[in-house]
Amino acid sequence: MTLLDEVTGTGGRSAASPPSATRRRRRAAETRAGYAFLAPWLIGFFALTAGPMLASLYLAFTDYNLFAPPSWVGLDNFTLLFSDPRFLQSAKVTAIYVVLGTPIKLAAALAVAMLLNNNRWGQGLYRSVFYAPSLIGASVSIAIVWKAMFIDAGIVDRLGQSVGLEPGGWVGDPGKTMPMFILLTVWQFGAPMVIFLAGLKQVPTELYEAASVDGAGPVRKFLRITLPMLSPVLFFNLLLETIHSFQIFASAFIISGGTGGPAGSTLFYTLYLYQRGFVDFRMGYASAMAWVLVVVVGIITLLFFRSSKAWVHYSGEAK
Amino acid sequence: MKRYTLKVAGVAAAAALALTACSGGGTETPAEGAATADPTEDVTLNFTWWGNDDRASRYQEAIALFEDEHSNITVQPTFVDFPNYWTQRSTEAAGRNLPDVMQFDLSYLREYSENNHLLDLTPYLGESIDVGEIDESLLESGALDGKQVGIPTSTNTLAMFYHPSLLEQTGVAAPSEDYTWEEYNEFIAAVSAAGATTPEGQPIYGAADYTNTFWFFLQWLVQQGIEPFSQDGEINFTEDDMKEYLALAEDLRASDAVYPVDRGIQLLPLGGFTVNESASEISWDNFLAGYTADSADENIQMLPVPSGPDGEKGMFFKPSMLLSAGANTEHPAEAAMLIDFLINDPEVGRIFGTSKGVPATQTQRDAMVLEEGSVDARVVAYEEAVADQVTEPVPVPVKGFGSIEAEYKRLGEELAYGTVTIDEFVEQWFSEAALMVQ
Repeated sequence: MTLLDEVTGTGGRSAASPPSATRRRRRAAETRAGYAFLAPWLIGFFALTAGPMLASLYLAFTDYNLFAPPSWVGLDNFTLLFSDPRFLQSAKVTAIYVVLGTPIKLAAALAVAMLLNNNRWGQGLYRSVFYAPSLIGASVSIAIVWKAMFIDAGIVDRLGQSVGLEPGGWVGDPGKTMPMFILLTVWQFGAPMVIFLAGLKQVPTELYEAASVDGAGPVRKFLRITLPMLSPVLFFNLLLETIHSFQIFASAFIISGGTGGPAGSTLFYTLYLYQRGFVDFRMGYASAMAWVLVVVVGIITLLFFRSSKAWVHYSGEAK
Repeated sequence: MKRYTLKVAGVAAAAALALTACSGGGTETPAEGAATADPTEDVTLNFTWWGNDDRASRYQEAIALFEDEHSNITVQPTFVDFPNYWTQRSTEAAGRNLPDVMQFDLSYLREYSENNHLLDLTPYLGESIDVGEIDESLLESGALDGKQVGIPTSTNTLAMFYHPSLLEQTGVAAPSEDYTWEEYNEFIAAVSAAGATTPEGQPIYGAADYTNTFWFFLQWLVQQGIEPFSQDGEINFTEDDMKEYLALAEDLRASDAVYPVDRGIQLLPLGGFTVNESASEISWDNFLAGYTADSADENIQMLPVPSGPDGEKGMFFKPSMLLSAGANTEHPAEAAMLIDFLINDPEVGRIFGTSKGVPATQTQRDAMVLEEGSVDARVVAYEEAVADQVTEPVPVPVKGFGSIEAEYKRLGEELAYGTVTIDEFVEQWFSEAALMVQ
């Protein structure tokens, strides 16, 4: 059997002959080669992901300060968590960010994707330009630029003053830091936008044509054709961006100088986890926090999948 | 789902460090005797400190001199800012991988020493490390449980800095030297109420809220006759003590007479005092060099801290910039030689001046070039002038000091924003301290 046969499926497989000893040997050799090629990833997975995860699960039930060996404390870390005002603050800040930031970002991504879905001159250029912030958005340098923009007498303050507003510095005002972070995430709409664009290309134009014949306006076409046809892509983006939002760390660390300030208003979950682990040396507590986050994100993912039956339509399904 | 896998990996990354830490275990004990250096062996020493570029270039100069004297030793230097310095050290300590020589702070000494992460330098004292010129009580501050785990290289004491030019603008006179905390409050309120502005139109304030710095609270406690920490490492002050101290500036906060916290936060790493919008600030006296450089005000003046209830200042010299060696070092003898060089060599004294504080050894103090009116000359003059007011021993930091100090600062910020009350501040601080100081 040649490689070509294998790929095209026209080899001996279709002939119903029993596997010969040579073929079994070859199979075994191929399996070995397969694992050999997988080895770097497997080693990485077990040594850098699975192993440490198990270790952190153990540490979550210990008191461990990085210096002395961990000592078993049972559920103490978890019970402490829920009476810790800063833990509750970090959960609140993160929840607000996820619940507000994700939908706004997806709406922006979909809106721009629909604008870019027309065949105009230079659309390739526009797509690249709108995608660019996603490439650099999570970087340290953008966080620094963002801070400089929203600081006292920064560009936002000055622009606001020139049109008669008094925006002031957002960085030092606990009431204005969250909008600043939401703007930062919305600005990085490029990745979901590209996926929306690909989804929009899949919507058959006949559907729109038929709808036009029936006299449907643009709003109706959007609600009755675009959204349902796009729902698998929407589901994918929603899941991805929600989980992504939970991970916000670098920009919050840079903008607040690692403190989660002012007045705890940027104390995102992962930032507090980092503080507990590496600033206060309470690694057991930090591990417990990490596992609470894993469980919460797991439950949210599960809920998304459960709810998807009700609103996600895959073409070809009888709906 | 790929992002999710990544996420889990990210969460687990913290634990990866912890995992390697487990295998390190806390079983090593420092060597009993002193190791001897072999001048024919090529040795590389890792050396790290916290500080800015200015300090880095001074250290580079000092290291070059050391390497000239010891051609077989190469020093590998690194540096970072103070908060990140300690996150780096903690992960290194967990992996038993601390640098051979490092700058250390009193706040963290006990934590590392109790778990045998620092080399006991006792066998080297008087041998390769000459400590003859270091004041005995100063040297003792680097010794815990009978082990010399750090050697202080300099001392600081608190001072109240002010900009005479800003005072002139507001028409408020500087406090007299025997001023009290209440008089300091009056001074701050008067400057803020004067209505003067900077050339950029920013209002000029008397000072930022001084109650949100833990060391000033300790200074105030000492003035009240309260030893902040007991000999066996327990907290020795009460919730009421802290409430009383925080209440000192309550009226100033309520009347917006202190430098606005939101502007202060946006100026970081500078502050109201260094951008010449705040007329005074309490801090360590070695800050004069940094203040002068940042504010471009060559004429910053210094006063001692406000007096306590009995009219005494009760000041103390805080040992600073200790030098320690990692217990895991493979070259203890060479590490000791580097420490000795840094504390005793006159050229090193000339290079650093007072930028780390006033040097601990007479040789280095004498080696400083004290030009009339220079920053170094003024810091030395200040310490000489207040010497008879320095009557108290420095409070010995308890285990977890670095964390409770940071917690105090964080709560201070919340107090300034009004998101916590004094009572909530004190309650939260004590419940946090109960976890940290064990």
